[in-house]
Amino acid sequence: MAGADGSSKSADAAHDDEPEALVLQDLSVGYKDPLISNINKKIMPGELIAILGPSGIGKTTLLRTIAGLIRPLSGKVSHDYPTRSGIGYIPQRLGLIRHSTVRSNISIGARSRCSKFYPAFFPLSRELKNDVKSAMKSLNIDDIADEPVRILSGGQQRRVAIARTLIQKPRIILADEFLGELDKENVKSIITATKKVVDEIGATLIMVEHHEERAMKLADRIWRIEDNKLIEEGDSNQ
Amino acid sequence: MIPINKKLILVGFTLLLLAWLSLDDLVEDWSQVESAPEKLEKFFTEDLWPPDWSVLEAEVWADGSLHKPNGDMCNEDIELFCSKAWTGMVITIKMAFVSTLVGFIISVPLASLAAGNLTPLPIAIPARVLLAGLRSLPSIIWALLFAIAIGFGPLPGILAMTLYTIGYLGKLQYEAMEGIPNAPLESAMAMGLTHSERLVHVVIPESSNHLLSQLLFMFEYNVRHGTVLGLVGAGGIGMYIDNYVNPPFAYARAFALLIVVFVVVVIIDLISMFIRSFVTEEGDVRRPKWWTVLLPAGVAADYYNKLSKGKKSSKSIQESE
Repeated sequence: MAGADGSSKSADAAHDDEPEALVLQDLSVGYKDPLISNINKKIMPGELIAILGPSGIGKTTLLRTIAGLIRPLSGKVSHDYPTRSGIGYIPQRLGLIRHSTVRSNISIGARSRCSKFYPAFFPLSRELKNDVKSAMKSLNIDDIADEPVRILSGGQQRRVAIARTLIQKPRIILADEFLGELDKENVKSIITATKKVVDEIGATLIMVEHHEERAMKLADRIWRIEDNKLIEEGDSNQ
Repeated sequence: MIPINKKLILVGFTLLLLAWLSLDDLVEDWSQVESAPEKLEKFFTEDLWPPDWSVLEAEVWADGSLHKPNGDMCNEDIELFCSKAWTGMVITIKMAFVSTLVGFIISVPLASLAAGNLTPLPIAIPARVLLAGLRSLPSIIWALLFAIAIGFGPLPGILAMTLYTIGYLGKLQYEAMEGIPNAPLESAMAMGLTHSERLVHVVIPESSNHLLSQLLFMFEYNVRHGTVLGLVGAGGIGMYIDNYVNPPFAYARAFALLIVVFVVVVIIDLISMFIRSFVTEEGDVRRPKWWTVLLPAGVAADYYNKLSKGKKSSKSIQESE
């Protein structure tokens, strides 16, 4: 893996013989001044990580840096996955196209599985179209396939955003408060559907969460951001 | 510290004062304005009014036969179809349609190269310079250049309007593209979608309301501008208007043709409203009754609340039955 080496101070030394999904090496993130400094982490495939911390502390900036949307101030983010379709990013505001239908929104995710030389205005292959259908079915949004996203409820919109990301078959999913302020029932059904598909793909999920209790229940590892540092719960090395 | 509203008032007052000083500097003799209403009234009552609606009829030749403006025999059942207003307007609309469509197809990719959120500055700046260059020359100058190069007729008009459309529409488009929310673009970038994929599947659908509105406005603009291009021999209804406002003057006929242009512009606006309704949220909410705009906000809200409660209760009665 490019950029990964034995010097990474990760909590999961037990996995050293397995190939990592993602390595954060001496990473500092921020815009002008670092918001979080000196991050050294190894993330294994299939892990579910929750990032906790107060607003404005740099959780979203860290996620955007891992997604490759902003450059790290120093250090590097390394993974072996292709830049096309390898990373799925669900922003805080979901990033859906409001006037497009549910089907069109999910098709955008499917397009990342086409070759980058495939013309943008050509329709998707039959196989990908079928995948879009089954993604909608697995998240129970197939009955609203032709509705514009703007008229959907918050819960339905989140399902569309998740379906759009899952159909990419990404190896790393970055979700920024994607459960938001949903009610318990909606959270439960979305989590069940997401986990089912994430398990199928074997993807790593890194999510920013505001609800500590929810994060504790869901995640394998908890990262907490305090005083410009990323601290892993239960990691005695830090 | 000055409160914000006082600052606003100060800025507004300063801008108005600057505008007044500029105007006063430009106008040397204010006395010429004094007689303007009488002159206008005289021109309107003696030359323009009533409009001469003979422009809606075919030309009658000496032998009594009906002809189109180009001299062809009128074989239509409805005489209007052989009139100067109809044939001129059809040519103008055809010119506007072709130039708007071709201009739009070229301007969208150019605008996407000029949009700061889609391309880096070294690409965006040359694209912006190109668009600025195209719209710096008014379409009438472009039409003159093309008329010199390829002669008179609709083609120089179409080429002139196409180039101007690219420059004008391109600027509106890249500003609309820059105004879309970041989140959908960031998702697409994280997925690794290419520039053209982001343009076709994210930027165009996300800014569709603005793009459609600008496209239809440009079509309307080109129809209106087609009347000006007639002045340089580009054909269409503008050519007839030009004939009537030159000696021997026939202002009443020109006025009738301008009313025809106005009606067409209103129709295009209504079509635009209908097409845009598919990509706006206006259909998602109840349209207010016309008279509620006269009420204070609270009273209008009470009216709608009562109305919706009434509807709900009648529904629940039906359900219980």
